[in-house]
Amino acid sequence: MKLVAVTSCPTGIAHTYMAAEALQIAAKEMGHEIKVETQGSVGAENVITEKDLREADAVILAVDTNVDKDRFQGMPMVEASVKDAIKDAKGLITKALEAKPAAADVREYQSSGAEKKKTGVYKHLMTGVSFMIPFVVAGGLLIAFSFAFGIHAADEEGTLAWALMEIGGSAFGLMVPILAGYIAYSIADRPGIVPGMVGGMIANTVQSGFLGGLIAGFIAGYTVFLLKKAIRLPKSFEGLMPVLILPVLSTLFVGLVMIFILGGPVKSINDGLLSWLNGMSGTNKILLGGIIGVMMAADMGGPINKAAYAFGAATIAQGQPSEVMAAVMAAGMVPPLAIALSTVIAKNKYTQEERQAGKVNWALGASFITEGAIPFAAADPIRVIPSLMAGSAVAGALSMIFSATLAVPHGGIFVLPIPNAVGNLPMYMVAIAAGSVVGGLLLTVLKKKVS
Amino acid sequence: MNTKEMFSKNRVTFDLKAKDKMGAIDELIALLSADGKVSDPERFKEAVLKREEEFSTGIGMGIAIPHGKSDAVLEPAMVFGKSKVGVDYESMDDKPAHLFFLIAVPVESSDLHLRALSEISRNLMHSDVREKLMKAESFEEFISVFGS
Repeated sequence: MKLVAVTSCPTGIAHTYMAAEALQIAAKEMGHEIKVETQGSVGAENVITEKDLREADAVILAVDTNVDKDRFQGMPMVEASVKDAIKDAKGLITKALEAKPAAADVREYQSSGAEKKKTGVYKHLMTGVSFMIPFVVAGGLLIAFSFAFGIHAADEEGTLAWALMEIGGSAFGLMVPILAGYIAYSIADRPGIVPGMVGGMIANTVQSGFLGGLIAGFIAGYTVFLLKKAIRLPKSFEGLMPVLILPVLSTLFVGLVMIFILGGPVKSINDGLLSWLNGMSGTNKILLGGIIGVMMAADMGGPINKAAYAFGAATIAQGQPSEVMAAVMAAGMVPPLAIALSTVIAKNKYTQEERQAGKVNWALGASFITEGAIPFAAADPIRVIPSLMAGSAVAGALSMIFSATLAVPHGGIFVLPIPNAVGNLPMYMVAIAAGSVVGGLLLTVLKKKVS
Repeated sequence: MNTKEMFSKNRVTFDLKAKDKMGAIDELIALLSADGKVSDPERFKEAVLKREEEFSTGIGMGIAIPHGKSDAVLEPAMVFGKSKVGVDYESMDDKPAHLFFLIAVPVESSDLHLRALSEISRNLMHSDVREKLMKAESFEEFISVFGS
Protein backbone atom coordinates (compact mmCIF):
# COMPACT_ATOMS: atom_id res chain seq x y z
CA MET A 1 0.00 0.00 0.00
CA LYS A 2 1.10 3.55 -0.57
CA LEU A 3 0.77 6.34 1.93
CA VAL A 4 1.43 10.06 2.05
CA ALA A 5 2.02 12.00 5.21
CA VAL A 6 2.75 15.50 6.46
CA THR A 7 4.68 16.22 9.63
CA SER A 8 4.84 19.65 11.14
CA CYS A 9 5.84 20.91 14.55
CA PRO A 10 5.63 24.61 15.48
CA THR A 11 9.30 24.92 16.27
CA GLY A 12 10.06 22.90 13.18
CA ILE A 13 13.45 21.80 14.39
CA ALA A 14 13.84 18.21 15.37
CA HIS A 15 10.47 16.65 15.97
CA THR A 16 9.19 17.30 12.49
CA TYR A 17 12.01 15.21 11.05
CA MET A 18 11.96 12.61 13.79
CA ALA A 19 8.29 11.99 13.12
CA ALA A 20 8.99 11.76 9.40
CA GLU A 21 11.79 9.32 9.99
CA ALA A 22 9.67 7.25 12.37
CA LEU A 23 6.90 6.97 9.78
CA GLN A 24 9.40 5.98 7.11
CA ILE A 25 11.02 3.32 9.27
CA ALA A 26 7.63 1.92 10.28
CA ALA A 27 6.30 1.85 6.72
CA LYS A 28 9.39 0.02 5.53
CA GLU A 29 9.05 -2.58 8.26
CA MET A 30 5.38 -3.08 7.39
CA GLY A 31 6.13 -3.45 3.69
CA HIS A 32 4.39 -0.23 2.61
CA GLU A 33 5.58 2.79 0.67
CA ILE A 34 5.30 6.23 2.18
CA LYS A 35 6.16 9.75 1.15
CA VAL A 36 6.47 12.20 4.00
CA GLU A 37 6.33 15.93 3.46
CA THR A 38 7.99 17.85 6.29
CA GLN A 39 6.99 21.38 7.17
CA GLY A 40 9.76 22.66 9.34
CA SER A 41 11.61 25.90 9.91
CA VAL A 42 13.28 25.61 6.51
CA GLY A 43 9.89 25.45 4.85
CA ALA A 44 8.19 22.51 3.17
CA GLU A 45 10.48 19.74 1.97
CA ASN A 46 9.73 16.61 -0.02
CA VAL A 47 6.44 18.15 -1.08
CA ILE A 48 3.66 15.74 -1.98
CA THR A 49 2.85 15.95 -5.68
CA GLU A 50 -0.39 15.40 -7.58
CA LYS A 51 0.95 12.04 -8.69
CA ASP A 52 1.67 11.02 -5.11
CA LEU A 53 -1.90 11.92 -4.15
CA ARG A 54 -3.41 9.91 -6.95
CA GLU A 55 -1.37 6.82 -6.13
CA ALA A 56 -1.82 7.00 -2.36
CA ASP A 57 -4.25 4.86 -0.42
CA ALA A 58 -4.30 6.94 2.74
CA VAL A 59 -2.89 10.08 4.34
CA ILE A 60 -1.45 10.68 7.79
CA LEU A 61 -1.26 14.17 9.23
CA ALA A 62 1.13 14.22 12.17
CA VAL A 63 0.93 17.92 12.82
CA ASP A 64 0.77 20.32 15.74
CA THR A 65 -0.06 23.27 13.53
CA ASN A 66 -2.81 23.87 11.05
CA VAL A 67 -2.09 22.47 7.61
CA ASP A 68 -4.29 22.83 4.57
CA LYS A 69 -6.27 19.63 4.23
CA ASP A 70 -7.89 20.53 0.94
CA ARG A 71 -5.52 18.47 -1.15
CA PHE A 72 -6.47 15.34 0.80
CA GLN A 73 -10.20 15.61 0.32
CA GLY A 74 -11.84 12.26 -0.04
CA MET A 75 -8.86 10.23 1.12
CA PRO A 76 -8.81 7.97 4.16
CA MET A 77 -7.13 10.15 6.74
CA VAL A 78 -5.76 10.01 10.24
CA GLU A 79 -4.81 13.09 12.20
CA ALA A 80 -2.50 12.98 15.19
CA SER A 81 0.15 15.01 16.92
CA VAL A 82 3.84 14.88 16.02
CA LYS A 83 4.55 13.10 19.28
CA ASP A 84 2.10 10.32 18.37
CA ALA A 85 4.02 9.66 15.18
CA ILE A 86 7.31 9.41 17.05
CA LYS A 87 5.87 7.10 19.69
CA ASP A 88 3.73 4.82 17.57
CA ALA A 89 4.23 5.28 13.84
CA LYS A 90 3.12 1.73 13.10
CA GLY A 91 -0.16 2.30 14.90
CA LEU A 92 -0.82 5.43 12.86
CA ILE A 93 -0.13 3.63 9.60
CA THR A 94 -2.47 0.81 10.53
CA LYS A 95 -5.19 3.24 11.54
CA ALA A 96 -4.78 5.20 8.31
CA LEU A 97 -5.14 2.13 6.15
CA GLU A 98 -8.29 1.12 8.02
CA ALA A 99 -9.92 4.54 7.80
CA LYS A 100 -12.94 4.75 5.53
CA PRO A 101 -12.92 7.33 2.77
CA ALA A 102 -15.90 9.71 2.70
CA ALA A 103 -16.47 13.18 1.21
CA ALA A 104 -15.66 15.07 4.35
CA ASP A 105 -14.96 12.38 6.89
CA VAL A 106 -11.92 12.79 9.06
CA ARG A 107 -11.00 10.23 11.71
CA GLU A 108 -9.15 11.48 14.72
CA TYR A 109 -6.56 9.42 16.54
CA GLN A 110 -7.26 10.41 20.12
CA SER A 111 -4.02 10.46 22.02
CA SER A 112 -5.44 12.12 25.08
CA GLY A 113 -8.97 13.50 24.83
CA ALA A 114 -8.70 16.50 27.13
CA GLU A 115 -5.33 17.62 25.83
CA LYS A 116 -6.52 17.52 22.24
CA LYS A 117 -9.57 19.65 23.13
CA LYS A 118 -7.40 22.35 24.64
CA THR A 119 -5.00 22.52 21.75
CA GLY A 120 -8.01 22.43 19.41
CA VAL A 121 -9.68 25.57 20.77
CA TYR A 122 -6.38 27.41 21.01
CA LYS A 123 -5.47 26.40 17.45
CA HIS A 124 -8.80 27.68 16.14
CA LEU A 125 -8.48 30.97 17.99
CA MET A 126 -4.91 31.52 16.80
CA THR A 127 -5.88 30.79 13.21
CA GLY A 128 -8.63 33.41 13.37
CA VAL A 129 -6.42 35.92 15.11
CA SER A 130 -3.49 35.52 12.75
CA PHE A 131 -5.69 36.28 9.75
CA MET A 132 -7.25 39.18 11.62
CA ILE A 133 -4.09 41.00 12.63
CA PRO A 134 -3.23 42.55 9.23
CA PHE A 135 -6.75 44.00 9.01
CA VAL A 136 -6.38 45.66 12.39
CA VAL A 137 -2.91 46.93 11.56
CA ALA A 138 -3.77 48.28 8.11
CA GLY A 139 -7.12 49.73 9.19
CA GLY A 140 -5.77 51.24 12.37
CA LEU A 141 -2.76 52.92 10.82
CA LEU A 142 -4.77 54.40 7.97
CA ILE A 143 -7.31 55.78 10.41
CA ALA A 144 -4.48 57.20 12.49
CA PHE A 145 -3.05 58.87 9.38
CA SER A 146 -6.45 60.39 8.79
CA PHE A 147 -6.41 61.83 12.31
CA ALA A 148 -3.01 63.33 11.61
CA PHE A 149 -4.78 65.75 9.31
CA GLY A 150 -7.02 66.82 12.14
CA ILE A 151 -9.65 64.87 13.99
CA HIS A 152 -12.51 66.30 11.97
CA ALA A 153 -10.55 66.39 8.71
CA ALA A 154 -12.24 63.23 7.54
CA ASP A 155 -15.66 64.86 7.70
CA GLU A 156 -14.99 66.63 4.42
CA GLU A 157 -15.80 64.22 1.62
CA GLY A 158 -13.30 63.99 -1.19
CA THR A 159 -10.27 64.94 0.87
CA LEU A 160 -7.34 62.64 1.44
CA ALA A 161 -8.16 62.47 5.13
CA TRP A 162 -11.66 61.32 4.28
CA ALA A 163 -10.35 58.69 1.89
CA LEU A 164 -7.93 57.39 4.50
CA MET A 165 -10.76 57.10 6.98
CA GLU A 166 -12.91 55.25 4.43
CA ILE A 167 -10.16 52.81 3.56
CA GLY A 168 -9.08 52.24 7.13
CA GLY A 169 -12.68 51.98 8.22
CA SER A 170 -13.35 49.32 5.60
CA ALA A 171 -10.43 47.26 6.82
CA PHE A 172 -11.72 47.64 10.35
CA GLY A 173 -15.19 46.60 9.33
CA LEU A 174 -13.75 43.33 8.07
CA MET A 175 -11.82 42.52 11.21
CA VAL A 176 -14.56 40.69 13.09
CA PRO A 177 -15.92 38.74 10.08
CA ILE A 178 -12.39 37.58 9.29
CA LEU A 179 -11.80 36.52 12.89
CA ALA A 180 -15.04 34.58 12.97
CA GLY A 181 -14.58 33.19 9.45
CA TYR A 182 -11.13 31.80 10.05
CA ILE A 183 -11.95 30.38 13.45
CA ALA A 184 -14.70 28.45 11.68
CA TYR A 185 -12.29 27.52 8.87
CA SER A 186 -9.87 26.09 11.39
CA ILE A 187 -12.62 23.95 12.88
CA ALA A 188 -14.38 22.82 9.74
CA ASP A 189 -12.20 23.66 6.75
CA ARG A 190 -13.58 25.54 3.73
CA PRO A 191 -17.27 25.01 4.44
CA GLY A 192 -16.77 26.87 7.71
CA ILE A 193 -15.85 30.12 6.01
CA VAL A 194 -19.32 31.14 4.89
CA PRO A 195 -21.21 30.78 8.17
CA GLY A 196 -18.18 32.09 10.05
CA MET A 197 -17.79 35.28 8.07
CA VAL A 198 -21.52 35.93 7.85
CA GLY A 199 -21.82 35.29 11.58
CA GLY A 200 -19.02 37.79 12.13
CA MET A 201 -20.76 40.43 10.02
CA ILE A 202 -23.92 39.96 12.03
CA ALA A 203 -21.86 40.26 15.20
CA ASN A 204 -20.98 43.72 13.89
CA THR A 205 -24.59 44.53 13.06
CA VAL A 206 -25.84 43.60 16.51
CA GLN A 207 -22.91 45.52 17.95
CA SER A 208 -21.53 42.64 19.93
CA GLY A 209 -17.93 43.41 19.06
CA PHE A 210 -15.15 40.90 18.74
CA LEU A 211 -16.48 38.74 21.55
CA GLY A 212 -19.62 38.27 19.47
CA GLY A 213 -17.37 37.43 16.55
CA LEU A 214 -15.56 34.79 18.61
CA ILE A 215 -18.86 33.22 19.54
CA ALA A 216 -20.04 33.33 15.93
CA GLY A 217 -16.85 31.70 14.70
CA PHE A 218 -17.02 28.79 17.10
CA ILE A 219 -20.72 28.25 16.59
CA ALA A 220 -20.25 28.33 12.83
CA GLY A 221 -17.32 25.93 12.88
CA TYR A 222 -18.89 23.35 15.13
CA THR A 223 -22.24 23.61 13.35
CA VAL A 224 -20.61 22.71 10.04
CA PHE A 225 -18.59 20.01 11.76
CA LEU A 226 -21.73 18.43 13.19
CA LEU A 227 -23.73 18.85 10.00
CA LYS A 228 -20.99 17.02 8.11
CA LYS A 229 -21.26 14.14 10.52
CA ALA A 230 -25.02 14.12 10.74
CA ILE A 231 -25.96 14.39 7.09
CA ARG A 232 -25.24 11.40 4.91
CA LEU A 233 -26.25 11.68 1.28
CA PRO A 234 -26.24 9.15 -1.53
CA LYS A 235 -23.05 9.39 -3.55
CA SER A 236 -24.61 11.24 -6.47
CA PHE A 237 -25.72 14.07 -4.22
CA GLU A 238 -22.50 14.36 -2.24
CA GLY A 239 -21.29 17.25 -4.39
CA LEU A 240 -24.19 19.35 -3.14
CA MET A 241 -22.87 19.29 0.39
CA PRO A 242 -20.07 21.86 0.23
CA VAL A 243 -21.79 24.00 -2.38
CA LEU A 244 -25.40 24.15 -1.26
CA ILE A 245 -26.40 22.24 1.83
CA LEU A 246 -23.63 23.13 4.22
CA PRO A 247 -23.48 26.85 3.39
CA VAL A 248 -27.24 27.39 3.50
CA LEU A 249 -28.03 25.38 6.62
CA SER A 250 -25.04 26.50 8.64
CA THR A 251 -25.33 30.16 7.72
CA LEU A 252 -29.04 30.13 8.46
CA PHE A 253 -28.47 28.56 11.84
CA VAL A 254 -25.60 30.83 12.85
CA GLY A 255 -27.41 33.91 11.58
CA LEU A 256 -30.57 33.13 13.50
CA VAL A 257 -28.64 32.44 16.67
CA MET A 258 -26.68 35.67 16.37
CA ILE A 259 -29.73 37.79 15.66
CA PHE A 260 -32.31 36.30 17.99
CA ILE A 261 -30.31 34.75 20.75
CA LEU A 262 -27.33 37.06 20.96
CA GLY A 263 -28.70 40.28 19.50
CA GLY A 264 -31.36 40.90 22.13
CA PRO A 265 -29.15 40.41 25.18
CA VAL A 266 -26.36 42.45 23.63
CA LYS A 267 -28.67 45.41 23.11
CA SER A 268 -30.04 45.06 26.65
CA ILE A 269 -26.55 45.06 28.09
CA ASN A 270 -25.69 48.19 26.18
CA ASP A 271 -28.90 50.04 27.04
CA GLY A 272 -28.81 48.86 30.64
CA LEU A 273 -25.23 49.96 31.20
CA LEU A 274 -25.85 53.33 29.60
CA SER A 275 -28.80 54.11 31.87
CA TRP A 276 -26.89 52.81 34.86
CA LEU A 277 -24.02 55.18 34.08
CA ASN A 278 -26.40 58.05 33.50
CA GLY A 279 -28.01 57.38 36.85
CA MET A 280 -24.71 57.72 38.59
CA SER A 281 -24.94 61.37 39.46
CA GLY A 282 -23.13 62.18 42.66
CA THR A 283 -20.99 59.05 42.67
CA ASN A 284 -17.43 59.41 43.77
CA LYS A 285 -15.80 60.51 40.51
CA ILE A 286 -12.66 58.46 41.06
CA LEU A 287 -14.78 55.35 41.33
CA LEU A 288 -16.59 56.40 38.18
CA GLY A 289 -13.25 56.81 36.42
CA GLY A 290 -12.27 53.31 37.46
CA ILE A 291 -15.57 51.89 36.29
CA ILE A 292 -15.25 53.65 32.95
CA GLY A 293 -11.79 52.16 32.62
CA VAL A 294 -12.99 48.64 33.30
CA MET A 295 -15.84 49.03 30.84
CA MET A 296 -13.70 50.45 28.05
CA ALA A 297 -11.38 47.46 28.17
CA ALA A 298 -13.91 44.74 28.88
CA ASP A 299 -15.14 44.02 25.39
CA MET A 300 -13.52 46.55 23.08
CA GLY A 301 -16.05 47.27 20.37
CA GLY A 302 -18.81 45.40 22.16
CA PRO A 303 -21.83 46.61 24.12
CA ILE A 304 -19.98 47.42 27.34
CA ASN A 305 -17.25 49.46 25.68
CA LYS A 306 -19.78 51.23 23.49
CA ALA A 307 -21.95 52.16 26.47
CA ALA A 308 -19.00 53.76 28.25
CA TYR A 309 -18.00 55.61 25.13
CA ALA A 310 -21.51 56.85 24.40
CA PHE A 311 -21.79 58.00 28.00
CA GLY A 312 -18.60 59.99 27.62
CA ALA A 313 -19.46 61.43 24.22
CA ALA A 314 -22.82 62.65 25.53
CA THR A 315 -21.11 64.77 28.15
CA ILE A 316 -19.39 66.90 25.51
CA ALA A 317 -22.45 67.27 23.33
CA GLN A 318 -22.45 71.03 23.79
CA GLY A 319 -18.71 71.23 23.18
CA GLN A 320 -17.80 71.82 26.82
CA PRO A 321 -14.80 70.10 28.39
CA SER A 322 -15.69 66.98 30.37
CA GLU A 323 -13.86 64.94 32.97
CA VAL A 324 -15.81 61.88 31.96
CA MET A 325 -14.73 62.12 28.34
CA ALA A 326 -11.12 62.52 29.45
CA ALA A 327 -11.38 59.35 31.49
CA VAL A 328 -12.96 57.52 28.54
CA MET A 329 -10.20 58.45 26.12
CA ALA A 330 -7.42 57.74 28.61
CA ALA A 331 -8.94 54.33 29.29
CA GLY A 332 -9.27 53.69 25.58
CA MET A 333 -5.66 54.50 24.83
CA VAL A 334 -4.31 52.15 27.48
CA PRO A 335 -5.08 48.71 26.00
CA PRO A 336 -2.94 49.03 22.85
CA LEU A 337 -0.19 50.87 24.73
CA ALA A 338 -0.13 48.24 27.45
CA ILE A 339 0.14 45.54 24.83
CA ALA A 340 2.87 47.33 22.94
CA LEU A 341 4.80 47.64 26.18
CA SER A 342 4.34 44.00 27.07
CA THR A 343 5.42 42.72 23.66
CA VAL A 344 8.64 44.64 24.11
CA ILE A 345 9.41 43.53 27.66
CA ALA A 346 8.34 39.93 27.30
CA LYS A 347 9.21 38.94 23.76
CA ASN A 348 9.08 35.24 24.48
CA LYS A 349 5.41 35.37 25.42
CA TYR A 350 4.23 36.49 22.03
CA THR A 351 4.42 34.98 18.58
CA GLN A 352 6.37 36.66 15.83
CA GLU A 353 3.18 38.11 14.32
CA GLU A 354 1.99 39.35 17.68
CA ARG A 355 5.28 41.12 18.27
CA GLN A 356 4.99 42.92 14.94
CA ALA A 357 1.39 43.83 15.69
CA GLY A 358 2.63 44.99 19.09
CA LYS A 359 4.90 47.54 17.45
CA VAL A 360 1.95 48.95 15.53
CA ASN A 361 0.00 49.18 18.77
CA TRP A 362 2.19 52.07 19.92
CA ALA A 363 0.76 54.13 17.07
CA LEU A 364 -2.76 52.79 17.52
CA GLY A 365 -2.82 53.41 21.27
CA ALA A 366 -1.48 56.90 20.79
CA SER A 367 -4.32 57.58 18.35
CA PHE A 368 -7.04 56.22 20.68
CA ILE A 369 -7.68 53.30 18.37
CA THR A 370 -8.46 50.75 21.05
CA GLU A 371 -9.12 48.05 18.43
CA GLY A 372 -5.37 47.43 18.14
CA ALA A 373 -5.68 45.35 21.29
CA ILE A 374 -8.45 43.14 19.96
CA PRO A 375 -6.34 40.40 18.34
CA PHE A 376 -4.44 39.95 21.57
CA ALA A 377 -7.60 39.84 23.63
CA ALA A 378 -9.14 37.35 21.21
CA ALA A 379 -6.14 35.07 21.34
CA ASP A 380 -5.99 34.88 25.12
CA PRO A 381 -9.07 36.52 26.64
CA ILE A 382 -8.76 35.15 30.16
CA ARG A 383 -5.34 36.67 30.77
CA VAL A 384 -5.42 39.69 28.53
CA ILE A 385 -8.79 41.24 29.20
CA PRO A 386 -8.46 41.48 33.01
CA SER A 387 -4.97 42.95 32.68
CA LEU A 388 -6.21 45.56 30.28
CA MET A 389 -9.24 46.30 32.45
CA ALA A 390 -6.94 46.93 35.41
CA GLY A 391 -4.67 49.22 33.41
CA SER A 392 -7.58 51.15 31.96
CA ALA A 393 -9.20 51.45 35.38
CA VAL A 394 -6.00 52.97 36.72
CA ALA A 395 -5.86 55.46 33.86
CA GLY A 396 -9.54 56.36 34.23
CA ALA A 397 -9.31 56.82 37.97
CA LEU A 398 -6.11 58.86 37.79
CA SER A 399 -7.57 61.03 35.05
CA MET A 400 -10.43 61.84 37.43
CA ILE A 401 -8.12 62.39 40.40
CA PHE A 402 -6.14 64.91 38.38
CA SER A 403 -9.41 66.47 37.13
CA ALA A 404 -8.24 66.22 33.56
CA THR A 405 -10.83 67.30 31.02
CA LEU A 406 -11.35 66.67 27.33
CA ALA A 407 -13.55 68.61 24.92
CA VAL A 408 -13.27 66.33 21.90
CA PRO A 409 -14.49 62.77 21.39
CA HIS A 410 -11.49 61.26 19.66
CA GLY A 411 -7.98 61.63 18.33
CA GLY A 412 -5.52 60.58 21.03
CA ILE A 413 -2.21 62.40 20.90
CA PHE A 414 -3.35 64.37 17.88
CA VAL A 415 -5.68 66.43 20.04
CA LEU A 416 -3.32 66.92 22.95
CA PRO A 417 -1.58 69.96 21.42
CA ILE A 418 -4.88 71.64 20.43
CA PRO A 419 -5.36 74.59 22.78
CA ASN A 420 -8.22 74.08 25.25
CA ALA A 421 -8.95 70.57 24.08
CA VAL A 422 -7.34 69.01 27.14
CA GLY A 423 -7.41 70.34 30.69
CA ASN A 424 -4.39 69.54 32.92
CA LEU A 425 -2.49 68.03 30.03
CA PRO A 426 0.70 67.02 31.89
CA MET A 427 -1.08 64.98 34.54
CA TYR A 428 -3.44 63.56 31.93
CA MET A 429 -0.45 62.13 30.12
CA VAL A 430 0.80 60.76 33.42
CA ALA A 431 -2.54 59.02 33.92
CA ILE A 432 -2.34 57.40 30.50
CA ALA A 433 1.26 56.37 31.00
CA ALA A 434 0.58 54.95 34.44
CA GLY A 435 -2.36 52.92 33.19
CA SER A 436 -0.31 51.58 30.30
CA VAL A 437 2.51 50.55 32.59
CA VAL A 438 0.16 48.80 35.01
CA GLY A 439 -1.61 47.02 32.18
CA GLY A 440 1.65 46.13 30.48
CA LEU A 441 3.19 44.71 33.65
CA LEU A 442 0.13 42.66 34.49
CA LEU A 443 0.07 41.23 30.99
CA THR A 444 3.74 40.38 31.19
CA VAL A 445 3.28 38.60 34.48
CA LEU A 446 0.18 36.68 33.50
CA LYS A 447 0.99 35.61 29.97
CA LYS A 448 2.65 32.27 29.42
CA LYS A 449 5.64 31.64 27.22
CA VAL A 450 4.82 30.69 23.67
CA SER A 451 5.11 26.93 23.38
CA MET B 1 29.70 22.36 4.41
CA ASN B 2 27.94 19.07 5.05
CA THR B 3 26.91 17.78 8.43
CA LYS B 4 29.78 15.35 8.90
CA GLU B 5 32.32 18.09 8.26
CA MET B 6 30.99 19.93 11.30
CA PHE B 7 32.37 17.25 13.61
CA SER B 8 36.02 16.98 14.62
CA LYS B 9 38.04 14.72 16.83
CA ASN B 10 38.95 17.73 18.94
CA ARG B 11 35.32 18.28 19.74
CA VAL B 12 34.15 14.98 21.13
CA THR B 13 34.08 13.57 24.59
CA PHE B 14 32.98 10.09 25.51
CA ASP B 15 32.85 10.76 29.20
CA LEU B 16 30.93 13.93 29.95
CA LYS B 17 31.55 14.85 33.56
CA ALA B 18 28.61 17.21 34.09
CA LYS B 19 25.86 16.29 36.53
CA ASP B 20 23.22 18.79 35.41
CA LYS B 21 21.92 20.64 32.36
CA MET B 22 23.92 23.85 32.84
CA GLY B 23 27.05 21.88 33.56
CA ALA B 24 26.60 19.86 30.40
CA ILE B 25 26.14 22.96 28.27
CA ASP B 26 29.20 24.56 29.87
CA GLU B 27 31.33 21.50 29.29
CA LEU B 28 30.32 21.32 25.64
CA ILE B 29 30.95 25.01 25.06
CA ALA B 30 34.36 24.68 26.71
CA LEU B 31 35.35 22.07 24.14
CA LEU B 32 34.13 24.36 21.36
CA SER B 33 36.12 27.25 22.75
CA ALA B 34 39.31 25.22 23.31
CA ASP B 35 39.18 24.34 19.65
CA GLY B 36 39.05 28.00 18.70
CA LYS B 37 35.60 27.99 17.13
CA VAL B 38 34.08 30.77 19.24
CA SER B 39 35.53 34.22 19.82
CA ASP B 40 33.46 34.79 22.94
CA PRO B 41 32.16 31.70 24.74
CA GLU B 42 30.01 33.75 27.15
CA ARG B 43 28.15 35.42 24.32
CA PHE B 44 27.66 32.12 22.55
CA LYS B 45 26.34 30.60 25.76
CA GLU B 46 23.76 33.41 25.94
CA ALA B 47 22.56 32.52 22.46
CA VAL B 48 22.27 28.86 23.41
CA LEU B 49 20.37 29.60 26.61
CA LYS B 50 18.02 32.01 24.84
CA ARG B 51 17.12 29.28 22.37
CA GLU B 52 16.73 26.85 25.28
CA GLU B 53 14.16 29.15 26.84
CA GLU B 54 11.93 28.96 23.80
CA PHE B 55 11.75 25.21 23.74
CA SER B 56 13.77 22.58 25.56
CA THR B 57 16.34 20.88 23.37
CA GLY B 58 16.00 17.74 25.43
CA ILE B 59 14.06 15.99 22.71
CA GLY B 60 13.71 12.70 24.48
CA MET B 61 15.10 9.21 23.89
CA GLY B 62 18.26 10.21 25.73
CA ILE B 63 19.19 12.91 23.23
CA ALA B 64 19.88 16.62 23.67
CA ILE B 65 20.54 19.08 20.86
CA PRO B 66 21.42 22.48 22.34
CA HIS B 67 22.27 24.97 19.62
CA GLY B 68 23.00 28.62 19.04
CA LYS B 69 23.43 31.06 16.20
CA SER B 70 25.72 33.92 17.16
CA ASP B 71 28.26 36.35 15.79
CA ALA B 72 30.62 34.99 18.43
CA VAL B 73 30.90 31.82 16.36
CA LEU B 74 33.79 31.85 13.91
CA GLU B 75 32.97 28.74 11.94
CA PRO B 76 30.07 26.26 11.92
CA ALA B 77 30.91 23.41 14.25
CA MET B 78 29.37 20.66 16.32
CA VAL B 79 30.45 19.13 19.60
CA PHE B 80 29.46 15.65 20.62
CA GLY B 81 29.38 14.56 24.25
CA LYS B 82 28.39 11.24 25.75
CA SER B 83 27.40 10.94 29.38
CA LYS B 84 27.51 7.40 30.68
CA VAL B 85 25.36 8.05 33.73
CA GLY B 86 22.97 10.47 32.13
CA VAL B 87 22.07 14.08 32.95
CA ASP B 88 18.68 15.47 33.95
CA TYR B 89 18.02 17.77 31.04
CA GLU B 90 14.34 18.67 31.58
CA SER B 91 13.67 16.51 28.54
CA MET B 92 10.27 16.00 27.01
CA ASP B 93 10.02 12.41 28.10
CA ASP B 94 11.42 13.22 31.55
CA LYS B 95 14.27 10.77 31.01
CA PRO B 96 17.94 11.69 31.40
CA ALA B 97 20.01 12.65 28.38
CA HIS B 98 23.06 10.66 27.39
CA LEU B 99 23.93 11.86 23.89
CA PHE B 100 24.61 15.55 23.41
CA PHE B 101 25.06 17.42 20.16
CA LEU B 102 25.99 21.07 20.57
CA ILE B 103 25.61 22.98 17.30
CA ALA B 104 27.24 26.37 16.78
CA VAL B 105 26.76 28.44 13.65
CA PRO B 106 27.70 32.01 12.74
CA VAL B 107 24.96 34.50 12.03
CA GLU B 108 25.30 34.44 8.25
CA SER B 109 24.92 30.69 8.04
CA SER B 110 21.21 30.79 7.16
CA ASP B 111 19.77 27.30 7.43
CA LEU B 112 22.95 25.35 7.96
CA HIS B 113 22.23 24.50 11.56
CA LEU B 114 18.67 23.56 10.75
CA ARG B 115 19.83 21.13 8.08
CA ALA B 116 22.38 19.67 10.46
CA LEU B 117 19.68 19.27 13.09
CA SER B 118 17.27 17.64 10.72
CA GLU B 119 19.90 15.15 9.55
CA ILE B 120 21.00 14.30 13.05
CA SER B 121 17.47 13.92 14.34
CA ARG B 122 16.58 11.64 11.47
CA ASN B 123 19.60 9.48 12.17
CA LEU B 124 18.89 9.34 15.86
CA MET B 125 15.44 7.89 15.28
CA HIS B 126 17.14 4.61 14.49
CA SER B 127 17.68 2.67 17.70
CA ASP B 128 20.79 1.00 16.32
CA VAL B 129 22.34 4.42 15.72
CA ARG B 130 21.69 5.40 19.31
CA GLU B 131 23.12 2.12 20.56
CA LYS B 132 26.29 2.48 18.49
CA LEU B 133 26.77 6.02 19.75
CA MET B 134 26.38 4.88 23.36
CA LYS B 135 29.08 2.27 22.76
CA ALA B 136 31.49 4.55 20.88
CA GLU B 137 34.73 5.34 22.64
CA SER B 138 36.76 6.93 19.89
CA PHE B 139 36.19 9.50 17.19
CA GLU B 140 36.56 6.89 14.46
CA GLU B 141 33.82 4.76 15.98
CA PHE B 142 31.66 7.86 16.40
CA ILE B 143 31.98 9.19 12.90
CA SER B 144 31.45 5.78 11.33
CA VAL B 145 27.93 5.76 12.78
CA PHE B 146 27.05 8.57 10.42
CA GLY B 147 27.95 6.57 7.38
CA SER B 148 30.52 7.26 4.72
